[in-house]
Amino acid sequence: MSTPSDTRRRIGGLLMASPPIIVVAIFVGFPILVAMAYSFGHIGGLNRTIATIARGQHTVSSWHQFSLGAYRDVFTDERFRHDLVVTIAVTLISTLVVTVLAWVIAMYLRTTPEGAWFRSGVAKLISGLAVVPMFIPVVIASWAMLTFYAADGFIRSLCADLGFQGPTWGYTMVCVAIGLIWTNLPFATLMITSGVQSVPDSLIEAARDAGAGLLTIVRTVIAPLALVPTVIALTFTAIGTLGAFTVPYFTGPNAPNMLGVDMVSYFRSYNRPQQSVVMAVVVFAVAAVFGAFYVWANFRSAKDSGRV
Amino acid sequence: MQPSASGLLARIGRQVLTVVFLIALLTFIVGPLLWLAIRAFATTWTYPRLLPDGWTLQWFGKVFADPQLFSSIRLSLAFAVTTLIVSSLICLPAAYAFSRFDFPGRRVFLIGLFATNAFPKTGLYVALAALFYAFNLMSTFGGVVLVHLLGTVVFMTWIPAAAFASVPRSFEEAARDSGGGRLRVFFTITLPLAMPGILVALIMSFLASFDEAQGTYLVGAPVYYTMPTEMYSLVLNYPRQVAAVFSILLSIPSVVLLMLVRKHVMGGQLAEGFQIR
Repeated sequence: MSTPSDTRRRIGGLLMASPPIIVVAIFVGFPILVAMAYSFGHIGGLNRTIATIARGQHTVSSWHQFSLGAYRDVFTDERFRHDLVVTIAVTLISTLVVTVLAWVIAMYLRTTPEGAWFRSGVAKLISGLAVVPMFIPVVIASWAMLTFYAADGFIRSLCADLGFQGPTWGYTMVCVAIGLIWTNLPFATLMITSGVQSVPDSLIEAARDAGAGLLTIVRTVIAPLALVPTVIALTFTAIGTLGAFTVPYFTGPNAPNMLGVDMVSYFRSYNRPQQSVVMAVVVFAVAAVFGAFYVWANFRSAKDSGRV
Repeated sequence: MQPSASGLLARIGRQVLTVVFLIALLTFIVGPLLWLAIRAFATTWTYPRLLPDGWTLQWFGKVFADPQLFSSIRLSLAFAVTTLIVSSLICLPAAYAFSRFDFPGRRVFLIGLFATNAFPKTGLYVALAALFYAFNLMSTFGGVVLVHLLGTVVFMTWIPAAAFASVPRSFEEAARDSGGGRLRVFFTITLPLAMPGILVALIMSFLASFDEAQGTYLVGAPVYYTMPTEMYSLVLNYPRQVAAVFSILLSIPSVVLLMLVRKHVMGGQLAEGFQIR
């Protein structure tokens, strides 16, 4: 039954909740629509200002037309195709490594028995270490990565002192991947650890009593229950990596590099915002694949627990 | 359990593996930071030595004497504080509404806020910057605050909403039954109990703004250079030791603030805040 006071509360709730929704609609949803229109050649309305500054645009004159010229520019560019592949590869590799590392840490913490001084000491140290990157601004982290893996960095110095030639990873994609793994580790670890911790002891013990080994327990008991946090961690890491600028800008090579760097240089340095926006649309499309995965996992868990 | 030779060997083997993993993790995570921090105190550093040739504090003086570097520190603080105030006003009431009122579209809106995080950041900022030209927001204080604000919306709605939701309604009802007004109950019961979550959100947001570099660079440059964007040019134009000093200064607020809420962040307030209810 809905009473007048109920209705008032509901409207009040909606009003209170609306400011962030409006902000996101105006400054996320709307610009993306406008930018998409721009990428297809629409230079009227809100795109007029930027279109007067930009070079090398492909334009259409009425609202029902569209031009794929900017897309053709971008996709026929050898460098873009290369960078797209590099971006997706780096995203997949760093997401995979971050998730595996976070799972190993989470399982170590979960299976540490009380009172085992060595293991609980190690567990404390590991859980502390894994969140350290959260305390450090990304700019600093990138710079630190670069100097550490540079030609005169720690790794090379150590190798030289031990009498052999070490690898130079500074200004390579290896350093970019390492940097992205480093910056994304804390969030994934916190998410997955909290998911794994929430699996009840009784379930794990029951499986162990039934003779299941650790891997079987992980696969059949823990993994299904920690699925949603794992997927949240996966999606956030993947989307964060796809949109990364600072880490690849600092630690990566001039070319090939990730699309985040390309977008900014097309926008700022080459003064070709339309091509930059096209790349943004491409990156959004890739991100949508990961986003769909996230929605699917949430939906599945809601279905499993009978909420849908 | 019977002690057997092979069992003991396996245990030692596992412990050795653990130590190796621990050292690798330590090197991977702390190594680069230490390597950078030491440089701030180095006179010169010759490859392949593992320590500098000599020690000095002169680089700190250089940073404090440089008016441009110093003004970027002030600007960063100004942006972070402004963003935090605006974000609190916009998001905290909404967080309360999401947790306590059942209005139509509640779940859709809550998930919709994630749109800010669903778009890769650089792509989003490029799209936003194109629009900022039309609104005359390029290279303005307001434009940069808007970019920073977007980075805080998810933290400032989701985490406090989870915190408000975890306050048992029975507490509020009991307080109301004993004669407390709605506002009084909110300020004496609900708010204090939800405070740890709100604090985590506030600090995460402050740092999100303080550390934001790419959007600020795209929208704010060449007028507004905050500490993180100053780093972009610093590493090219100054001795590496100056960049190291600057890095230490830039890390201090993050480290101090996160230390304050470390317990809550690691205790699951952050992870809790990202589960959909």
